[in-house]
Amino acid sequence: MSELTVVGADVPRVEAVEKLTGDALYTGDLLLPGLLHAKVKASPHARARILRIDTSRAEALPGVHAVLTGHELDHKLGLYVVDKDILAKDVVRHFGEAVAAVAAESVETASAAVELIEVEYEVLSPVLDPMEAIGDDAPLVHPDLGSYAYVEAAFSPQPGTNVAHVQRVRKGDLDRGFAEAEWVVEREYTNPSVQHVPLETHVAVVQWKAGDQVTIWTSAQSPFTVRNLFCTAMRLPLNQVRVVVPHVGGGFGGKAGIHLEPLVACLSRKAGGRPVRLQATREEEFSLLPCRSALTYRIKTGVRADGTITAQQMTMYWDAGAYADYAVNVTRASAYSASGPYEIPNAWVDAYTIYTNKPYGTAYRGFGHVEFFWGLERHMELVAHAIGMDPLEFRRRNLLKPGSRTMTGELITEHTGDPRACLDAVAAAIGYGGLTDEEREHERRTGRRVGKGVATLHKAPAMPSFTATAAVVKMSSDATVVVNVALMEIGQGCNTALAQIVAERLRFPIDRVKVAIERDTDKDPYDWQTVASKGLILSGNACLLACDDLLRQAYDVAAQVLRANVADLDHDADRVFVAHRPQESVTFAELSIGYAFPNGNGIGGPLIGVGRYIAQGLTNLDKETGQGLPALDWTYGAHGVVVDVDPDTGEFDVLAISSAYDVGRVVNPGLVRGQAIGGMVQGLGTALCEGYIYDQQGRLLNPSFTDNKIPTARDLPARLDIAVVETAQLDGPYGARGVGEHPMISVAPAIGNAIQQATGAELLHMPMRFEDVWRALRSHEPIDNWITETPAGSCRSDLPGGAGQPSPRK
Amino acid sequence: MTAMFRYRAPRRRDELLELLAEYGERARVLAGGTDLLGDVRSGLARPAAVVDVKLVPGFGELAWSAAEGLVIRPGVTIDDVLRDERARSSYPLLAACAQDLASHQIRNRATVVGNVVNASPCADMAPALLCLGARAVISSQDSRREVPFTEFFTGAKRTVLRAGELLEEIVVPAQSAGARGSYRKLKRIKGHDLGIVGVAAMAKDGELRLGISSCAPTPLLVDGLTTRDPVDEVVAVARAAISPISDVRCTKEYRTHMVGVYVRRAMEEVA
Repeated sequence: MSELTVVGADVPRVEAVEKLTGDALYTGDLLLPGLLHAKVKASPHARARILRIDTSRAEALPGVHAVLTGHELDHKLGLYVVDKDILAKDVVRHFGEAVAAVAAESVETASAAVELIEVEYEVLSPVLDPMEAIGDDAPLVHPDLGSYAYVEAAFSPQPGTNVAHVQRVRKGDLDRGFAEAEWVVEREYTNPSVQHVPLETHVAVVQWKAGDQVTIWTSAQSPFTVRNLFCTAMRLPLNQVRVVVPHVGGGFGGKAGIHLEPLVACLSRKAGGRPVRLQATREEEFSLLPCRSALTYRIKTGVRADGTITAQQMTMYWDAGAYADYAVNVTRASAYSASGPYEIPNAWVDAYTIYTNKPYGTAYRGFGHVEFFWGLERHMELVAHAIGMDPLEFRRRNLLKPGSRTMTGELITEHTGDPRACLDAVAAAIGYGGLTDEEREHERRTGRRVGKGVATLHKAPAMPSFTATAAVVKMSSDATVVVNVALMEIGQGCNTALAQIVAERLRFPIDRVKVAIERDTDKDPYDWQTVASKGLILSGNACLLACDDLLRQAYDVAAQVLRANVADLDHDADRVFVAHRPQESVTFAELSIGYAFPNGNGIGGPLIGVGRYIAQGLTNLDKETGQGLPALDWTYGAHGVVVDVDPDTGEFDVLAISSAYDVGRVVNPGLVRGQAIGGMVQGLGTALCEGYIYDQQGRLLNPSFTDNKIPTARDLPARLDIAVVETAQLDGPYGARGVGEHPMISVAPAIGNAIQQATGAELLHMPMRFEDVWRALRSHEPIDNWITETPAGSCRSDLPGGAGQPSPRK
Repeated sequence: MTAMFRYRAPRRRDELLELLAEYGERARVLAGGTDLLGDVRSGLARPAAVVDVKLVPGFGELAWSAAEGLVIRPGVTIDDVLRDERARSSYPLLAACAQDLASHQIRNRATVVGNVVNASPCADMAPALLCLGARAVISSQDSRREVPFTEFFTGAKRTVLRAGELLEEIVVPAQSAGARGSYRKLKRIKGHDLGIVGVAAMAKDGELRLGISSCAPTPLLVDGLTTRDPVDEVVAVARAAISPISDVRCTKEYRTHMVGVYVRRAMEEVA
């Protein structure tokens, strides 16, 4: 590859000034003539029959223009399983579910009207524990599951049960593998639901105009998916609905699908076409909007005394909550990735998506991997301990390497990425295996114990096998270009990275490339979704192809102007010229919107490059065996953590987190650093303090920052290291692969492993609150939920056959 | 939740007390607003009138006299206390508790009076005021009374304040000046958080007092101790005084344990 000048440079974020000065406009800033404001009436119950809704007093309130209940709406929504009404009909399925909504002339009037709506419920006993939900006599969250439409190529709902999907992966011969093992270790690991907490809460402004022409302005990650799902639900042609997304204040997966838009649209329709705005409150983010699914992950591993894994049986119980949304695909992606970057010769995965009466799960940065790597990398640590082997050495022995096969049968090559280099980098960075003099002095001075732990990670984009995107590069008359893509800039920096890729390919300075901020389905080329850490590869490649297309057009015209063969042309930042007679040239400015000869004749036309890109070679997974090729690329990585733990109280501090990711090629070091630090801190929150807590009736007890803490600036570890490995991705733009989600994965198990190393505490549940560590140190039963003192949701310790103690087989 | 109320910001003390008398139970006093606005937003408070104390002359003053000690008036913010050199040096425990209250933004707005009037079991200023022997000076249109802080809190979110009354002054006595102090607060994160367990210790002339928050319906004082008492006995007395519950923040078992650890450590620090 030739020398790169723009790709790899630490280009400042292109939208930084706009955001820092407050100039950037978000959906919530939009004011339209006649704008109405909406509020939602939410269910206080987890499961109830709606006996009666009386909206008459709300309708009579002056200033109210529309009141809606579920019975007026005949539109089902769902990404993969079409199971959700816009407003609850007949039954409510989770605490916080919308049962009615109002549009009024002010937020105050709408709020007052919502309070005037009377709902009579027959409260039913909710299904809260996913393990109970799959029992024989559990009430059904969706008795009509068998009648719902779903994506049949990928998913398998089980009518008559609470199972929305089962994903199976089978490799080798499990029984033979266990027979070859000298040790078998079986454990179960749990984590609760958490909330994304984007700075900008969900907001949508919708105008349903005459002739069913609908415009949706929304804080969405995926404008084309919003349009697609909206039109399916409303039975409208796609070209009658326009979705516009300006700046977005963070998404993290919580804005990946469709959320408030259909409700707001129906309110606008009922209000005679006046535009309606609805912005979720922070509290509504926790239960009206979806969360991350809880997981119970059971792993049984057979291993030889030399540390070689011979077999692994993995069972995942994903708590979807009331609707399947993304949870079924989280289940699918987690199942085929479930063993991490390790070679498992005989593997068996059963992963279930389970409906319960709780707020429902959606995409969340990591898409299942943060959750299951908690269990997997704690498990690897415990297996190593059980056989008396150093956990780092145990991991090294079992890592994937060129020639290995993944659980779905994919061959790992030298180009796939280098998990070993990542693991070694973080181990070296934290001084794994011993304490420095300074750390010993720290222990002596504070009475705390210092421990170090590592954990690996991997993730491939979880997306349809035929995921596609496109880019358009348009040249203006001064030879600057504007790039249109529908991949959203949600803070990850894609506008900057794509501008760098375009500048590199065109050989232009970066300041002549602009990636348009606002996305508009009427004007921008299609993109599936802004999710899955796939934007850099797919949209990056589309941008390269669009640049090539534009250059081809420029060369074609230049060949005529210069009376040269296209094959003899070359270009620099300003001109297309004849390679062997560079003085014979024509500028891009002259070519940009059509070339004019001295006599006035014109040729060519505006230079507009179009690049289309689609994931290639991927397949559906066999429903029985999970075999197939689901992964566009794998980004490997690792985290190393240093903690100090107070053995008397369980309090601990994360002193340092080291990270390493095989990004293929660093397009922008600042953006990698930003993703890495943001991801590690978000990973810290999930590890230490975040999580939904319910009471016995399924009411969410901590729907705010009072009792759902997230890390603050003061919680940043003193040391956050970022290292990169660059094993070029052969089909990545300039060799790059995505690293958007990865920094959040495996922070928690690295912390758990470090705590165990420091104190011996065996933590199986995250978040790891100080009390959890204290309990583990005293061999107290773990208690997930201090209100119910029951294991509802997670933290079961009733494993059959010896509560997870390692057992020698021979 | 949207609330309608009358907002009044009197510029005279007598006018303020008159308004409080007029609205009685239906009035809420606004100082920093960091508790009140949250309560209004969530619907916990539905006042007919919100009476702002900040425009009354002198209400923002933090006064010191050798005879009386430190006088904290209704508009004095947590940051005002932290910025005041004399308050910091004379009452290090007061400063320690103030320093651990919420975040910069909240400390810049929240008042000491508001923190105790809100009467949360986890009020950060309460353990210090209890240990330091502070008194509440309570005024109404036609009365003025003094209540020691040991009698001020009557239950979770409840105080001796009656309708029409204002906590006009907190007096931290001069006798407590110079006492050694330590505050330990268990939080879930290092940033802004409520105390899950709070233990303040104060030692002066061999006397030891403990102020404990988040372990009973009200913040409480454990006194009658000396710095020479065996640590285990002090821990036992403290544990006997508390009545912790399990809630979303932790179990009563852990609270009981942490009170013991913090008492032990605080004693080492101040003795």
